[in-house]
Amino acid sequence: MSEPGEVLLSLREVTRRFGGVAALDGVSFDVGRNEILGVIGPNGAGKTTLLNCVSGVHRLDGGDILLDGRSLRGLPPHRVARLGVGRTFQIVKPFGSMTVRENAAVGALFGSSEARLPTRRAFAHADEVLALVGLAPKRMLPVASLTVPDRKRLEVARALCTKPRLLLLDEVMAGLNAVEVDEALEMVRAVHASGVTIVLIEHVMRVILGVCQRVVVLHLGRHLAEGRPADVLRDSRVVEAYLGEKYASRYAGG
Amino acid sequence: MAAQPEPDAGQEAAFAVATPAAARRERILLVVAAVALVLLVVVPLTSTDQAQSAGLPLLVDRYWFRVATIVAMFVVISAAWNLIGGLAGYPAFGNVVYFGIGAYAVALLVTRYHWSFAAALAGSVVAPAAFAGLIGVPLLRLRGHYFAVASLGVAVAVGEVINNLDYFGGASGIFMPIVRSDLLFYYLMLGAALLAVAITWVVLRTRFGYGLIAIREDESAAAVMGVNTTVYKIAAYALSAALTGLAGGIYAQWNVFVNQDVAFNIDVSIDSILMALIGGIGTIWGPVLGAVVLEFLIQTFSGRGDLAVVTQIGLGLLLTVAVIFLPRGVVDFLGGRSSLTLAYVRRTLRSSGV
Repeated sequence: MSEPGEVLLSLREVTRRFGGVAALDGVSFDVGRNEILGVIGPNGAGKTTLLNCVSGVHRLDGGDILLDGRSLRGLPPHRVARLGVGRTFQIVKPFGSMTVRENAAVGALFGSSEARLPTRRAFAHADEVLALVGLAPKRMLPVASLTVPDRKRLEVARALCTKPRLLLLDEVMAGLNAVEVDEALEMVRAVHASGVTIVLIEHVMRVILGVCQRVVVLHLGRHLAEGRPADVLRDSRVVEAYLGEKYASRYAGG
Repeated sequence: MAAQPEPDAGQEAAFAVATPAAARRERILLVVAAVALVLLVVVPLTSTDQAQSAGLPLLVDRYWFRVATIVAMFVVISAAWNLIGGLAGYPAFGNVVYFGIGAYAVALLVTRYHWSFAAALAGSVVAPAAFAGLIGVPLLRLRGHYFAVASLGVAVAVGEVINNLDYFGGASGIFMPIVRSDLLFYYLMLGAALLAVAITWVVLRTRFGYGLIAIREDESAAAVMGVNTTVYKIAAYALSAALTGLAGGIYAQWNVFVNQDVAFNIDVSIDSILMALIGGIGTIWGPVLGAVVLEFLIQTFSGRGDLAVVTQIGLGLLLTVAVIFLPRGVVDFLGGRSSLTLAYVRRTLRSSGV
């Protein structure tokens, strides 16, 4: 996975400050082609800031981000999207006046240079993707009538419609019940099987253990640990970051 | 044009027309509009000398031409505003600046450079679009109220500059050679109105329109999905300016005279926004309906003493009621439901954040 030719996304000393606070402080790691990488960490670790930096929403204050060896530094969000990076938002941002189908079609009308389909084909592609995420029966509804899990599905569908090489998922499983998480996991596996590299932020450990091949742990804007999910979750530094030193020693002892 | 609904089902309709019932309503509206259009084109021909000497009844007089031309002009301005304010969601309050630039472009090109009126009209399209393209770069970085106020500021500033430069005729304005033809200016305005509606229709069916609506609904989501938001906003603004300028250019020659009061009257901006608001912003027919109904009422009752005052008050009340109870406009209301139910009002109030 870590051979040079196999790297799709490479973060090098990525730094982003908000005023005096370094939300990301020299974070470096690689994402292999066709990998599913989990990014975890306590609240305020800088996970969402990281996705914002990759997708061009935030400018970098330092370091560089390479996609297939090409620097994304300074590119506006639509240029990053054009290069094949799709993303979802933790707080879903549907286009409220549109139907489910139209929302997805926007992704296919714009998106990566593989997308950008003419109108009719964009809608056809939207229909295929909506079927993949299980929203086909609701495609003609206005988004306002969707439940929370369905809105999260739509968020994923819109990103998928852009035909990304790299998909960034920001807590798409948060707020879902056990059955819905299982369905969502199936969806992520299906997307991955279609050849898309995935970076996902999650708090639900079952998701991390269920689909991620590798995990990066962020803590207070720094890269804390990296490795196979089961190993990382046993790492005393990771437990400490989540639970605090006192509970970590008890956890390790008992 | 590429996304005409498939004949087999309303299911294939590519955009806002989501249900078969709505598609049917849309078709009925189209037929009504087509019939109205034929009448609007044919009926005024009865005023020609040939028609009169052939013994046809005179169906239109000078007053009718005046009202009809002004109504058509507001259809253009309101539909043009709808492109930036309704589709892209950027509430431009100073679009009258493009009406003014278009009017002055024609006045200057005709009087100073002796262009023909037809050639000068091209200037009334290009000059406002170019100015909007330049000023739009800094202006469209602002959002919401800030953008509204800044766009208004630009309109006031440009009006003052023109009023104080001798090149533009200064405070005494510019007089142009008279072109005496009610029929010509009526048909020009009607043509401009058709052009504005046709452009909206096309925009709503293309990638451009979906990009603009995505920007209106959530600009950051639109950007990460690959919409070049800066270019799209500036393009919509320039298109809006070009159409508004065309109306200004036609008006300048019709009116024979331009000065700051004529060309940069803020009421033009405000009226056109209210028309779009009442009819339904973001829709094709909303600005048309709003402009026709409101401007017709204004023209009918203006200059009639007490009645005019009462009408002004009545219009004010009508606007207030319409904006509170039908915030998504008459077209949305007629297209969505058959009656003004409490549930409809509650839902629209909630979604408009009142």
